[in-house]
Formats: sequence, structure tokens, C-alpha cells
Amino acid sequence: MKYLWFSWVLVLGSSSCSLPAKQQAGTTVNIRWNRDPENLSPLAQPNQNAVDAATLLHCSLLQVDLSTGTYSPALADSLPRTRLLGDSLTHLQYQLRRAASWDNGRPVLATDVAFTLKLIFCPGLPNEKARAPLGFIRDIKLDPTNPRRFTLVCRGQAPEFSFESGDFAIVPEDALDPTHSLRKFSVASVATANATEPTLAALVTRYQQADLGRNPKRLPGCGPYKLAKWKTNQYLTFERKTHWWADNLRPAPFVLQAKPAKLHFRIIADDATAALALRRHELDVLPQVSARDFKRLQESSAARQSFAFYSTVSYEVVTAGFNTRRPLLRDSLTRQALSKLFAPARLLQATQLGQGQRTVGLVHPGDRRYYASNLPLPAYNLPQAQTLLQRAGWTQQATGWTRSAVGSQAERLALMLRYRTDEPTFQTIALQFKAAAALLNIPVELRPTESSLLTTALREGNFDMYIRIQKGNPFAFDYAAMLHSRNAKEGNFTKFGTPATDRLIEAVATAETPVQKRQLLYRFQVMLQQQAPLVPLFFLSYRLVADRRLQNLYPSALRPGYSAPTITWAANAAPALAQQ
Amino acid sequence: MTLLGRWLVAQVGRAALAAWAIASLVFLLSRLDSAKATDLLLSEVDSLNSTALRTDTDATQRQARQAIKQRLGLEAPLFYVTRTQQVGVVKWHWHGLHNQYHQWLVGLLHGQLGLSFRDGQPIGPRWRAALAYTLPLTGLATLGAIAGALLLGLTLAGGPSAPALSGWRAGLHTLLTGLQALPLFALALGLLFTLANPDMLNILPAYAGSADTDELWDQQALRLVLPVLALVLAVLPELALLLAHTLRHELGSDYATTARAKGLSNRQLLQKHALPNAILPLLTAFAGLLPTLVAGAVVVEKIFSVPGTGRLLAEAVAMHDYPVVVAGVLLTALARLLALALADALYAWADPRIRLLS
Amino acid sequence: MSQPVFRARATGFWFGVSWLLLVLGGGLLAPWLPLVFPPAVPDLQHIAEAPLWASSPTHWLGTDLQGRDVLTELLYGAWQVVSVSLPATLLATIVGALTGGAAGFWGNKGLRVSWAGWLAGAAAGWWALALPGRGPCSLALVGLAGLAWWYQRSHAAKPSGWPLPLDSLFQSALTLLGAVPRLVLVLVFAAGPALGTVQLVVLLVLVAWPEPASQVRAQMLRVRELSFVDAARAAGLAPTRVWYRHALPHACRPLLATAPLSLAGLIGLESTLAFLGVGRPPDVPSWGNLLGALQQEPSAWWILASAGGTLVLTLLALQQLAQQLGKRR
Repeated sequence: MKYLWFSWVLVLGSSSCSLPAKQQAGTTVNIRWNRDPENLSPLAQPNQNAVDAATLLHCSLLQVDLSTGTYSPALADSLPRTRLLGDSLTHLQYQLRRAASWDNGRPVLATDVAFTLKLIFCPGLPNEKARAPLGFIRDIKLDPTNPRRFTLVCRGQAPEFSFESGDFAIVPEDALDPTHSLRKFSVASVATANATEPTLAALVTRYQQADLGRNPKRLPGCGPYKLAKWKTNQYLTFERKTHWWADNLRPAPFVLQAKPAKLHFRIIADDATAALALRRHELDVLPQVSARDFKRLQESSAARQSFAFYSTVSYEVVTAGFNTRRPLLRDSLTRQALSKLFAPARLLQATQLGQGQRTVGLVHPGDRRYYASNLPLPAYNLPQAQTLLQRAGWTQQATGWTRSAVGSQAERLALMLRYRTDEPTFQTIALQFKAAAALLNIPVELRPTESSLLTTALREGNFDMYIRIQKGNPFAFDYAAMLHSRNAKEGNFTKFGTPATDRLIEAVATAETPVQKRQLLYRFQVMLQQQAPLVPLFFLSYRLVADRRLQNLYPSALRPGYSAPTITWAANAAPALAQQ
Repeated sequence: MTLLGRWLVAQVGRAALAAWAIASLVFLLSRLDSAKATDLLLSEVDSLNSTALRTDTDATQRQARQAIKQRLGLEAPLFYVTRTQQVGVVKWHWHGLHNQYHQWLVGLLHGQLGLSFRDGQPIGPRWRAALAYTLPLTGLATLGAIAGALLLGLTLAGGPSAPALSGWRAGLHTLLTGLQALPLFALALGLLFTLANPDMLNILPAYAGSADTDELWDQQALRLVLPVLALVLAVLPELALLLAHTLRHELGSDYATTARAKGLSNRQLLQKHALPNAILPLLTAFAGLLPTLVAGAVVVEKIFSVPGTGRLLAEAVAMHDYPVVVAGVLLTALARLLALALADALYAWADPRIRLLS
Repeated sequence: MSQPVFRARATGFWFGVSWLLLVLGGGLLAPWLPLVFPPAVPDLQHIAEAPLWASSPTHWLGTDLQGRDVLTELLYGAWQVVSVSLPATLLATIVGALTGGAAGFWGNKGLRVSWAGWLAGAAAGWWALALPGRGPCSLALVGLAGLAWWYQRSHAAKPSGWPLPLDSLFQSALTLLGAVPRLVLVLVFAAGPALGTVQLVVLLVLVAWPEPASQVRAQMLRVRELSFVDAARAAGLAPTRVWYRHALPHACRPLLATAPLSLAGLIGLESTLAFLGVGRPPDVPSWGNLLGALQQEPSAWWILASAGGTLVLTLLALQQLAQQLGKRR
């Protein structure tokens, strides 16, 4: 008991004695990861850390520029030229950078891109995850006159194709297919081929024998770093290549910068331990800090002296959703009424300590072009909820709310709410909702569910309401995945969708001009409030704590929330550091 | 000696048989649920990629699932026979040797534990690597706990022979009870916040996973102190209180009174006579601790970042990586059965009246 | 027995009884107590707050991570202790004592089951599994069992049969429960509907019985070789009676020390279960959930002090009672 009392003292910041900071060796940056990346093959990226590692080891045609929040050319020398063919095909023409080369000096050519695509579509390889976002790519056409130019043939038409088509790591053909045996296939024929086809089967065998998940060296990418050490569940060290092709580019584009000589990722599973490791200067960067840990660190005067604190509103929004297939929740009035029982303002304060942002809909409030700021924010309103329920045909009785359903006996308003067990935020929201519903005499059963079981339960429609985090991005405005009736079996857990809303969602996704997009997105946000298949409660913040002397972290609303390759130590911070 | 030898062979044989049965059971049960494993490979929980879902219709998702199943060898029938039930009529189908269970069993007999669902890596090396961290941790903790229990148990029982504890002994007793009431994570976090905190005592490293390879052995040993301490404090109270309880009971029995009458000091009586009689429950508790040598301790491993077997197993369960789980169950079951046999042997050694059960 | 000793014993005993009555009373009467804050209702203005006795209305013992009043949760949680944790502890101890005691007493060869019994068992199994030829085969087995029974009755003077490997079965069950990760066990339950009180107690007993069982088994190995057991056997008492009346009470001695302590483990298990989405819904107050909040908020000393302190007192009270139980013997 005693020690916890003392740690309370730490929170109040009344005591401060820290050991002298360990001298940083060279330009090394120590960053916390919360779990092992597990697999470093660019085809299978089981978690965010694996994705981050891949951007160090490999280059893509286009990469996200965290300084501007847009895609910008990396291996490609500019954004692709788009040509629409008829109304169902898109041609995207890319040109690779002249300087781009592999470590052995061989240039990066269109044949490498073609091979990478074939690898992504080859049956029998663990490439489902890499394939899923590129499913619209049909084929690649090489330019016979220019080995660095090629055209991607895409099925369908959408403005997002131009950047999504370039977001995959390019791997060298020579490492896995030295005899160029795959050149006789087209991408389309590989995708539809049988796994028993001898050439492809041989490739699969070579891939598996190379064991690329653990040995990324066998598929050397053209990224700025190479993996120096990897101890599973302990740490990974990436070393900067001494000669990298992009070193000579002037001016160096943001996405092709790589400053630290060494990136050291320490895997610390527990948040409290990680915060202590930061305090002890075993870590320099602590990303994805919880609101409470963030506050605790901020309140310690010793920590304030040596660390800088960053917070950005992310694209992750906490939402409550309704199962619109349930007779109880089929009408939008009932859903609207229940939405009024959430108290987003107080919940944001209570669970995120006020960091984050309330929202009218799924469009990020920071996006001034499209965010419908004149719509009302969802708010707690008990009388209005009562009125709406009455308008929906419910009558309040001593036993609760009932209404007569068509062709069967009266239905009673009682709800089952599911959410993930391991997130205290959800628990607080659920308890608040239940307490509010109890005031109206609506029984709510809370069913916290283990995360892997939750996905199954949501997919099967085994719930009335859910609370979860909906992840978005600033690039695309495509809400089909979560709200189109076509996806009712996979991502659209609310099973929402009428022909009219489906058309609206499709129109938003394919809108060409900003003006058109603004009008459609406005209509979409109004529709979302009226139909209320889900209630966006608030956007979460990404919090980052880093050593004060670190610069160019580019705290970002996109995962992982900072830019590791651009980090530099301040010149006057520690003279010993500048040597390397 | 030959009797003991035969007994040993019988015990090991029986342990192998039981471990095989248990692992088979878990294997079959887990494979019934393989749909979840493929789902998790397709998309991480809660991060359903929006672009993925736009271009992917239900049909392509189904295809992807099929491809995963094929790659993991989940398409073959599960067992030699399957049982189907249609409108009350039960039918049995014979599938021959081409089934998942047979392949697993044959691999096992060749010493192969199989491949992980998640990354296709062989499981054996991974368990070996994790054991290299867990064995020193739990081994040291077990030894520490036993030594501590003997010390504290003898101390607690060593007082005047009144039935109620008095003075500082009662305080110690309450302290141990309080430790027992603390959940393990609270204990571990408490140690962390006192002994590895720049605002408090900053004397020990915060996490046990080594930061670099070029670390000296003494630093690595230092990293083990906190997790070992947490584990010792977690199991110590029960062992010590148990020993104290049985010791005090022995001291109150007839033979102790006789011995005292003969002039034996309390201390001699405790160590020479009461302890051998009271050691049996402690041995049982010790045998109960042995399997954790293999199974690890998830909570402590997570808080102190030890990449041990407890975390390996827990993560595999959460990710539905069943081959890793089944291997873990097999190893733990073997360790547990051997520990039980060892305990029986120790009983017979501690008290010659006890015969070995065959 | 001298007077002061008796008094010392009585103090402990009365402390134990009165504390447990207090817990029981708190749990039963909580809904009628004049508590400022209702249970399971978050106070969003005061999340994870230490007790500040100046403000009004006052959270006398602070709030937890969800903004629930710790005092209210403690009082309501007492009912959970009385209705789930204590019965589970008691049941696990009893089940453990009986199974472990039987395994240690009879071993693998001590208990013989007649041929008729084996055959009847096989018949039941065949029928239950619906193996091929369900009807005729089960019937044939039942017939054989009847024959064996008749033969036994009319011909054999000495009962014959095959020993039931009680100890091996016991060890295997112990290993199965110990080796299968608790998570797997729990995931099986988590997929189904929410657990009621009875199912929860059963689940807890399932997890908790191996420890007392192995303690009793070990002790029984020693006790059955003691002279008074032999004497009882020689006096011609039935083995079951020797086991139950004479051997078992002695073999159960270590449980007096360990059983009260295992309550802490079971209450801790509640928060683990909650983390896995099994067990009572999160709006049912429980001490386990309160203590579990420490994991997210390790600096919440007020939760540790109040919930931990209450739990320690309960453990001490149980220890006192167990000690008295031991003295009566």
C-alpha cells in the first residue's frame, strides 16, 4: 500500500529526483513499440508496427507525406497521369525516378513493379492482406520504349485510385525470381491461375524457403534502412544505409528523408512500464500514450523539463451503432431517440480528459472544406429522447416502453449493448448510457465481449447496439464499407442501407470536383443525423511524448502518429551526439 | 532400486499417454473453431480497412478465406471419422489417414510441433526461445519462494506455544495475509513504481527485456530482480502460512509434548521433528508451482516485458493461433504430470511410511 | 486449558464472526442504506478521483476509473462476495477434499468395480455416443452385464472385477485443468450467453478445486498408513466408512490454512474474467472489478486502500474461523 501512496506523490509532482540522462550514442532514436511486428515480409503485415517497419525497409511508388497529410511521389517521380476509359476502366501512368536503385546498384524498373504485383496476386502465398486494398488493379502494361514507365489498368473509376494504386512496397525481382520466369505471365493471369501451375508453385516454394517474415535481408528493399538486429518481443534495430539512392536528390522530398543513423524500437507491452522507461531515458519517443498517462507525465515537473508533449486529433472516431435489422431499431426515430441518451461532451472530458473533438458526423472536424459545422452536435437530451420515442409509436408504461408491432404481439424496448472488454473508455460510455436509459425506464444489458469474439458477434448481427472505434483517413470519402447495404455481411455492422442512401454514398465516393463533393458530403452528414444508424461520439487524439531535444517529429493524425525517419537531435542538445 | 526404476518407467509412460490425450483433445476442440483463426488473419480486430472493403465484395472475402484455409491445411477432414447428424439420424464417416489429426500426430512423433497459423514459422524454436527467458525467471522465483517460506514458516511457528500469535509474529502474519490479498498485477506495478521510478527509488531497470546484445551479464541479472521479486512475493504468503499452520499443529501434538518433557528445546523440536512431518503440504505446493516453470507467468511477463512462454501462450490464444496453443498445452501437461510424479517420489522420501502408488 | 488462552481464542473468533456478519449485512442491506451515489452510475465529473472530503456531495472513498463511487461499489460488492465468492470457495474446498481424499485413499488399485459395472458403463457410453449399431450393441452389452451380475451373485464367493484407476483419472483431470490455458477454458464460456450466478460458481469451482484436492491427496497418502486407520480397517469397518469418518478429517488439515486464502484468488479471478467478458455484467458491483481498476490506474491508492483493506480483513476473519474449526476437532 505504501508504495502506491508514494506514486501518488509522483502524480502531484512534489518530488523530483531523476538520474542524469544516459548519453545517447550517435544519432540513435529509441522508440517504443507496444508489440512485436511478428512478420517483416511486405506481403503480410499483421499489425501497425510491421507496416511502419516496411516503410523503413522498402519504398512505394507514392507515400504519405506527414508534413502535408497527402500522398506524394516516392519511387515514382510524380503522381500518376489518370486516363478514364469508357465508364468502367481507369489507366494510371507512372514514371519511376531515374535515381532509384537497389542496394546492388541495379536500377528500379517497371519490371520490378510488375513482379511485385504478381507476387501480391499469386495464389498460395500469404498475401491476402496486401491484395485486399489493391483489388481494383487488373493489369500492368510496360512501356517498350521506356523501362521506367508503365501503366496500371484498373477496374472501375474513383478519384482515390490515383494514390491508392501507388501505396505498396516494391520488391526486387532478382531476389525471388532471378530467371525472370514470371515475365511470361500477365498480372491478370497470375491472379486467376491455379496454385498448382508449376512456375507459380516454384515461386511459392522459393518464397517459403526464404522465410522472408523473419529474414527481410533476403528480399532487400530500396528503403533507407536495413534491419540490423531483431530479438522477438524485445527490440528491433534499423541501421541507416551508408549509401542510399535518394541521398543525392536535391531538394530531398519529405518522404525520402532518413536522418537517424539508427532507429531502435523497444518492445514494451505494458503502458505503465513504458512511461517509466521514458522517464528513465531508456526511450526517446513514446507514441500512442493514454490520456491518463499523458496527464500524469505532464503533471510531473521533472518530466516537463525533459520531455515535449504533442497531441493531435486523429481520424479515429468512437461510435455507437445500432443493429438496424432488429424490429426495435428499424425506424430512425427510435435510433435518434436513443442517440440522445449519450452524453458526448461529458464522456470526452471523463475518458479522454478533454483531449479529442466532438463531431457532427464521420467527417473529420479539422477538414474545413467538408465538415458540416452548422449541424448540431449530438448531445444528451432526455426530454427530447422521450418525445422522439413517443413519436416512434412507443408508449411508456409501468413496465417499460411498448408498442404494437405489425402482425405480432406488442414489442418491448430492451437493448443489449456490446463493446470490447479491454477498453475502459467503452466501459464508461456503456455505463453512462445504461444509467441514462434507466432514467427513462429502458432496460439495457451490457455485454462486454472479448475482442476476437466481438467481430464475429457484430458480423453475425448478434447485438442491438455496439460501441467501437471507427477508423478513417483524410484521403478518401468512401463510406460504403461501413454504411452501404452491399457490405451488410462484412464491414457494415449496422446492416444499414436504403437505395437512396446507397446512391448518396456512391455519389460521394465518386464525386469529382470539390464543390460537388462538398454538397454531397453535406447531404451525407445530414442523412447520417436523420437516419442515425450510428452516432459518432467524438474523435480521439493521438498523444505523443518525446525528448525535448528531438526535432522534426511531425506529430500526425495518421498512424503511427509521428515520422520516425525525419527525427533529428537538436544541434545544441548534446555535443557528443553530432559526431556521427 | 529396481522397484523405483519400474515405478519411474510406469510414471513416465503414463504421463506421456495422458499428455497425448489432453493435447489431442485440445487439438480437436480448437480446430472445430478454425473459422475464427482465418478471420483474424484476414483483418486485425477492429481495423477493418475501408478501402479493402470497398473493393472486396463478399465473394472475394470468401475466396480469400478459402485460400487461407488451403494454405494452413485446414481443408482436410479433421479426424479419422466424423459424425454428422441429420434429422435425428446419426451417421459416421471414415476418412482414412488423410486428415488433420493424423498429420499432426505423425509430425509430433517426428518431434515437430507444427507451424504457426499466423506467420508459418515452426513452433519448436519459438517455444525454446521463450523458455530461455521463462526458465531462469520462474526457476529462481520457485527457489526463492521455497527458501522464503521455510524461513518465514519456521519464524512464525517458533514463538511460545500459545495457540494465538502475539506481538510482531501476529503483525507478520497479517502482512503475509495482506500480500495474499493483492492481485499479482498490483504487486508487480507497486514494485515497479517504487524501485524503478525516477521520482522514487531509481535503482532497478524498469523492464526485463534486454535493451541491447552488448549488455554485461550483471546488468542482465539486474533486470531479472524485479520480476523474480514480484513472483516470489505472490506465492510466498500461501506457502509460508501453510507451513506455519502445520508446524504449529505438530508442536501441539502429543509427541511434541513428550519431547519437550525430555528436555528438547523448541528450536530442536521444530527442526528435527516437526518439520519433517509438516513438510508434506509444502512439497505439494512446490509440485504445483513446477508447471509454471514451463507455462510462465503472463502478468509479470507483460509488465516487465519478458518475452517468455506465458505471453507467447496468451497471445497465441488471443490470436487463435492454435498450433502454438496446442504445443503449449502439450508441454505444460507433460511438465505437470512429471511434477506430480516427482511430488509422489518426494513424499515417499520425506516420509518413509508412504508407499509409492503404482 | 488456561483462561487467558481461551480468551485469546475467543477474541479472534468473535472478530471473525462479526466481520463476516458485517459483510453479509452490508451486501444485504446496501439497497436500503442512505448512500449518496447509486451503484454502477458513473459520475463523469469525478473520474478516478481520490477522496476529497471538502466537496459536496462527497465521494467518501473516492471514485474508480469509470467514475463510480468506491464506497457504494464496496457495499454492493459485498453481496457478490457472499453470494458467489464464498460459496465457490467452500464448494471448491469440499469438492477438492472429496476427490483428492478418494484418489489418495484408494489409489489406482484400491477400488474394484465388478464386471457387471464395467459392462453397464460400456453400454451407456455406446448409447450416448450413438456409435454404429447403437440399439443392438448397447442392448447386447446390457445383456452381458446382467449375465455377469447373475454369475457373480450365484457362483463366485469373492467379489471379482477390475480396479478403477481412480488416482490416474484424478491426476489426468488435474493436469487437464492445469495445462489448458485458463483463457481457452473461458473462451468456451464467453461465446455463449451471459453466465448466471450458479454457472459462475460452477466455473469458479472448476478452476479452483485442483489446489485443495492435491493437498488432501498428499496428506491422505500419509494418513492411510497411520496406525489408527489400520486399526479401523482391522475392526471390520467398511472402507467407505473408514475413509470418511477416520481418514478424511485428518487429511483435510492443511485446508484450514489454505482455503481461507483462496478466497483472494477467486475474487482476483473475477477481474480476469471480466477482462475476458465472462462473468457478471460490469454493472454488477464487485470487489474484483474494483481491484481490477488498479491495472489501468496504478496510482489509485484509495482503491487499493479501501478494497484491498476490506479484502484483507475478510481473509483474516476467515482464517480465525478456520483456526477455531481446527481447535474443535
